[in-house]
Amino acid sequence: MTLYSLLFYLLAIIILASTVMAVTRRNLVHAIIYLVVSFFGSAMLFYLLGAPFLAAIEVIIYAGAIMILFLFIVMMIDVDRHKERLFPIRQCLPAIIFGLVYAAVGLMVTFGHSGSKASMPIAVATPNAFGRFVFEHHWLAVEIVSLLLLVALIGALYLGRLKIEKSAAAGKETP
Amino acid sequence: MQTADFTALTPLLLLAAAIAAVMLQIALKRSHILTIVLTLAGLIAAMLGVLAVGDMPARQVTPLVTMDRLAFFFIGLILTATAATALLGCRYWEHAVGQCEEYYLLLLVAALGACVLAAAHHFAAFFIGLEILSISLFTLMAFARRRMASVEAGLKYLVLAGISSAFLLFGIALIYADVGSLAFPIWTARLQAAGETVSPLLLIGMGMTVIGVGFKLALVPFHMWTADIYQGAPAPTTAFVATVSKSAMVALLLRLFAPVDFTAEPALFWTLAILAFASMIVGNILALRQDSVKRILAYSSIAHMGYLLVAFLSGGPAAIAATVFYITAYTITVLGAFGVVTVLSRTDADADSMSDFQGLFFSHPWLAGVFMAMLLSLAGIPLTAGFIGKFYAITAGAQGGIWWLIITLVLTSAASLFYYLRIVVAMFSPPLENKTQPPAAGISYSGGLVLTVMTVLLIWVGSAPGPLIDLIGRITQ
Repeated sequence: MTLYSLLFYLLAIIILASTVMAVTRRNLVHAIIYLVVSFFGSAMLFYLLGAPFLAAIEVIIYAGAIMILFLFIVMMIDVDRHKERLFPIRQCLPAIIFGLVYAAVGLMVTFGHSGSKASMPIAVATPNAFGRFVFEHHWLAVEIVSLLLLVALIGALYLGRLKIEKSAAAGKETP
Repeated sequence: MQTADFTALTPLLLLAAAIAAVMLQIALKRSHILTIVLTLAGLIAAMLGVLAVGDMPARQVTPLVTMDRLAFFFIGLILTATAATALLGCRYWEHAVGQCEEYYLLLLVAALGACVLAAAHHFAAFFIGLEILSISLFTLMAFARRRMASVEAGLKYLVLAGISSAFLLFGIALIYADVGSLAFPIWTARLQAAGETVSPLLLIGMGMTVIGVGFKLALVPFHMWTADIYQGAPAPTTAFVATVSKSAMVALLLRLFAPVDFTAEPALFWTLAILAFASMIVGNILALRQDSVKRILAYSSIAHMGYLLVAFLSGGPAAIAATVFYITAYTITVLGAFGVVTVLSRTDADADSMSDFQGLFFSHPWLAGVFMAMLLSLAGIPLTAGFIGKFYAITAGAQGGIWWLIITLVLTSAASLFYYLRIVVAMFSPPLENKTQPPAAGISYSGGLVLTVMTVLLIWVGSAPGPLIDLIGRITQ
């Protein structure tokens, strides 16, 4: 086992374990912290696969910005009143069934299928090359994704304004 | 990046320009009328763009999209349906509390996402288009934010669309792991080459893609969201979901699976065939016992997507043409049907329950006539577009020899007459006595325009389908 595969398996275990913890925690703040760990692991995995830029982006945007935003939201809306408890059995059962199906399919794919044995050559995508590739070959995708962000922004603004109007109206009713 | 690329992209560029214009206008000065005018101008400009470049040879612009005749046809359909929705929304939102200009902006962005889906040539374009469409749709559904049902519909759609996107993404990843490319033609070529011995990886990836597509088309068993969302969302949004989102997905279905030879791919065939069978049966049975017109239309849309799959699965030479014809006829009909519902609705509550339609013939005879025509078209009565669509689907199915699906189609269509005629009977019954009539406001010009155009198209396509069939024949060559 080379150092490379050793690192890979180590990271895989960290990612899996922290994601499982994130899904099963009832305390939202704990869940988010575990998710941050999971994202850090994925970032390392990207780095290992030869995409340092993607790794940096993953840390900055996902682990850094988005998860911190999640934390703020959780702190603001005070959802932590529920006692910590496991999922009710009604929700557990379908999850377990689907999990088993997934596991069976995964095992089948890993062991039953010859697939492509040739491992992909290790390449390193420098930020420069990555940017050039995206803007030369996928410029349309960049433009369309910008619209996706735009519509998310407009939607959030529109629905978010509801809160202000509502609280203003409520304030009028009960001065 | 060449001039020809931009020429091919003309309709999309015009649509994007319209989005920017409307956004700036809202930022500078809010005015409902001005927004509607700008939106319609943008949509009409984009339609003219389709007409101008629609006959050009197919051109692939970046690996993502291919602008060919099929794409242009569907873009035209999407733009038309969006314009109709905007016109319907005009009176509907006029008296809304608060600001409603964003509705048109979101409509335009959703239409752009649908256009990207219709022209997608690559799984990345598929996913981006789908996400633009979904995100705009759930805002459009929750747009009547004072109504809990509307907000609930938006939230339900957000969660379920998120889950279906997760399935789709996982499927795409598996397909990429097996094929090594995300472009559609390479994928279908790989599928063809594999024949019956498809690798499990590809098979699972394909299954998950079908889940993603099935969710948007609301095929059974991915149909759970449909009724609640059709009922809860504001009526113009429901019209939009039922037409634009469905037709974009059908275009994608054609791109994904039409090049595949179903006889060599039994797994795919049986998956889709069972979905079609279940959709026809479940959709029609659930519609029988509804008392809400919007829910009836929701369940009937599930059944109709089942009929459409029958046409698609026939695999004969007529399969693609029959599918395209069916979705076109369906779009016209549903726009008309939801047009009537919208015209009768007020901002605080949609016309929905059977009693809202009771005695409609006596208060609004023309409206009742239009709604009856639309319902008969959905049921597949001759002289309407729906009849030709169903006839075409059955012919294609017979050529493909899928008799059990055709028999299901015919039997369930017969059963569907029951609930369509229930609405018609309610409209022609004497009005309820102790019911406070909705204000007998005249039908707005914009709503009247949409209903007139849709009715004329319905009768025209239903009685002289030649031109449309020729057009579809040309684009599906």
